[in-house]
Amino acid sequence: MTLSNEALAELVRPDSVNKRVYTDPDIFSLEMKRIYGKAWIYVGHESQVPNTGDYHTTRIGDQDVIMVRSTGGAVHVLYNRCPHKGAKLLADGDGNTGKFFRCPYHAWTYKLDGKSLAVPLKNAMEGTCYDPAHPDFSMRKVARVESYRGFVFASQSAEGPDLRSFLGGVISSIDNMCDRSPVGEVEVAGGVFRVLQPSNWKVFYENLHDTMHARVTHESSFQAARDEAAALGEMPFELLIMDGNGEPYEFWEKLELRAYDNGHGYMEGIFDPAAATRDPVSRAHFESLSSVHGEARAREILGMNRHNTIIYGSGSPHTVFQQFRVIRPIAVNRTMVEIQTFRLKGAPDGVFDRALTYANVINSPSSNVMPDDVEVYKRCQEGNLTDGGDWVSLHRYMGTDKVLPDGMVSTNGTSELPMRNQFKAWRQYMLDTGSEHIQGAGRAVA
Amino acid sequence: MLLLDRNFDVSVTPVSPAALSADETRGVEQFLFQEVQYLDDRDFDAWLALWDEDGRYWVPRFERQANPFEQVSLFWEDKMLREVRVKRLNNARNWSQQPPTRCSHLVGNVAVKGLDSAGHLIVRSSVHHTEWRGEQRHLAGTVHHKLVRGAEGGWRIRLKRVDLVNCDSVFANLEVFI
Repeated sequence: MTLSNEALAELVRPDSVNKRVYTDPDIFSLEMKRIYGKAWIYVGHESQVPNTGDYHTTRIGDQDVIMVRSTGGAVHVLYNRCPHKGAKLLADGDGNTGKFFRCPYHAWTYKLDGKSLAVPLKNAMEGTCYDPAHPDFSMRKVARVESYRGFVFASQSAEGPDLRSFLGGVISSIDNMCDRSPVGEVEVAGGVFRVLQPSNWKVFYENLHDTMHARVTHESSFQAARDEAAALGEMPFELLIMDGNGEPYEFWEKLELRAYDNGHGYMEGIFDPAAATRDPVSRAHFESLSSVHGEARAREILGMNRHNTIIYGSGSPHTVFQQFRVIRPIAVNRTMVEIQTFRLKGAPDGVFDRALTYANVINSPSSNVMPDDVEVYKRCQEGNLTDGGDWVSLHRYMGTDKVLPDGMVSTNGTSELPMRNQFKAWRQYMLDTGSEHIQGAGRAVA
Repeated sequence: MLLLDRNFDVSVTPVSPAALSADETRGVEQFLFQEVQYLDDRDFDAWLALWDEDGRYWVPRFERQANPFEQVSLFWEDKMLREVRVKRLNNARNWSQQPPTRCSHLVGNVAVKGLDSAGHLIVRSSVHHTEWRGEQRHLAGTVHHKLVRGAEGGWRIRLKRVDLVNCDSVFANLEVFI
C-alpha cells in the first residue's frame, strides 16, 4: 500500500488521531524509516560496556545493532551484520568479543570500530573487486553516535540536529538522574528486565503521561496495597509506590505536564518530595549530596521531583528511582520494554536498594501494577481493529495549554497535552521525507 | 530495608545431611504436591498459610543468581508482598485477570538434599507449569524449597526458589505464583 504524505497528514488532527496509526503494518514500516531511521535513539549506557571489547546488543527500530567499547575507549554503534554473507556477527545479549569481531560462519574478522581486519586464504580474492579498504567490506557504523553523561544515543541519519538540540528541555531529566550521585555519575546495575507488550509502541508512550487512567486501571493494585497497609498499620516503601495511583482526581489535576519538541516531556512527581527528609534512606542521600554541594544545591537536586520522563523514540527514564524503561517497537502490535536500573555512584547503599525494590515491585514482569496497563493496551489494540469507529480522542484540555520559551505546559494535570505533543512530533517525522536517506544504506521509501 | 534483609540465608547448598524416614520423605513429597494444588485451585489463602512468617518466595532473573540483594529478580516476595499479590488477584477490578489465569503444575524429581546452617530442610524438585490466559504458556525449572517444622508439626515454607529455564527471556506478565 502506498502512503502518500497527504494520506498520512489526514491521520493526525490537532485533537485526535486515526486508529490506523496503531494498527496498520505499512504505517509501522514507515515509522521504522521516518522516525527510527532519523531520530536520536538511546542505545545503552556506557557503563554496560566498561572494558575494551565489551558489547551490548539491542535494536534501533527494526535494526539489530551492537554497542561496543573500542580500543582507546571510544564507544561505537554498528549494525549487527557481517558484510560477507550477512550473518549476525554476535548473538543477542551482552559479553566481550575480545580484540576483534570474528564471524562464526567463515571467520572474517573486524576491528572493534567495524573496519575489516582479515579474511582467511586472502589470496583467493586477488584479481577480484574485493577491497578491504572499501566500506562494503567493513561492518557498517550507524551514521551518528553521541553520548551525554554516559547515555549513548545513535541516529541512523547523517543529517539532523545534534543530540543536545534534539533532547531540548528534557535533557534536565538526564542531568537530574546523574546529579543525584554525589560524583555526578550513574551506572547500569543489577541487570535488566525485558517485558513484552502485545500492543503498539505509541500506546505506551501516551500512557506514561496519562494521569486519568491511574485510579481506574490500577484500582486492583492500589486497593490491595491500601488494604495491606491498613492491616499492617504502616505504609512501607513497597506499598507506597503502588498506593500512589489511587490518588483522587483533584491530585492529578494539580500536577504539571511539560511538553518539548520532538515528542519529549515529563510529568511532575506523584510522591511527596518532603518525604525525602523523613525516611532514613533519603536523609542519608541528602547528607551525601550536601557534603559535596552544600545543602541548598542538595535540596535543589532532590527537590526536582519528577515521575515519568519521556524521550520520544527511546523510552522513559525515572529520575527519582533511577530506572530507564527503554521502549523497542517489534511489530505494529508488539513492543518490548528493556528496564534498566541505575546505581548512583558514591551514594549510600540504601539508595540502590530502593531502586532495586522499585524495579522488582513496579517494573518487573511480575509487577502487580503493570499487568492492568498491559491489559488495557491490548484492549486498545484489539478494539481499534473493529469497525466501531475511526478516531482516537486527545481532546482533554485542548486549547488551554500554555506556551513557554522551550515548550509547553499544561494548566491542568489531566490535560492530554503529552499525547497531542507526541503526535505533533509524529506528524513532523512522518511527513518530513527530506532527511530520511540513511547514510550509505541507499534505501528509498516508496 | 526489611525486604532486602541480607541476613536472610538464600543458599540452597546443604551443610549437613538430613535423616528422614521413608514416611517423613513421603510427607515432604505430599507437602510439595499440596502446595501446587492450592495454586492450581486458586486457593491462595490456603497457599499463604503454608508459609513461615518470615518466608521468602524467589524467582531469580539470572542463572545461578547468588542473591536477590544485588540484582533484580523476577519475584522476590516476603509475606507482605505475597499477600498484596493475592489481594490484587482477588480484587473485582483486576482487569488483567478477566478471564483469570488458569494453571497446572506438575512436580516431580523430588529429592531431600540435606539441611542448611539453621537446620532447614532443603528439598529439590522439578516443576512444569502450564498457564492459560487467552494464550497458553509453558514454564519449567528447578525448585528448591527450604522447609521448617511448624508449631503443629507440619511443614512451613522458609524459602521457595524457582529457577526457570528461560529466566533471561523476554516475558509477558507473570501474574500468579509459579
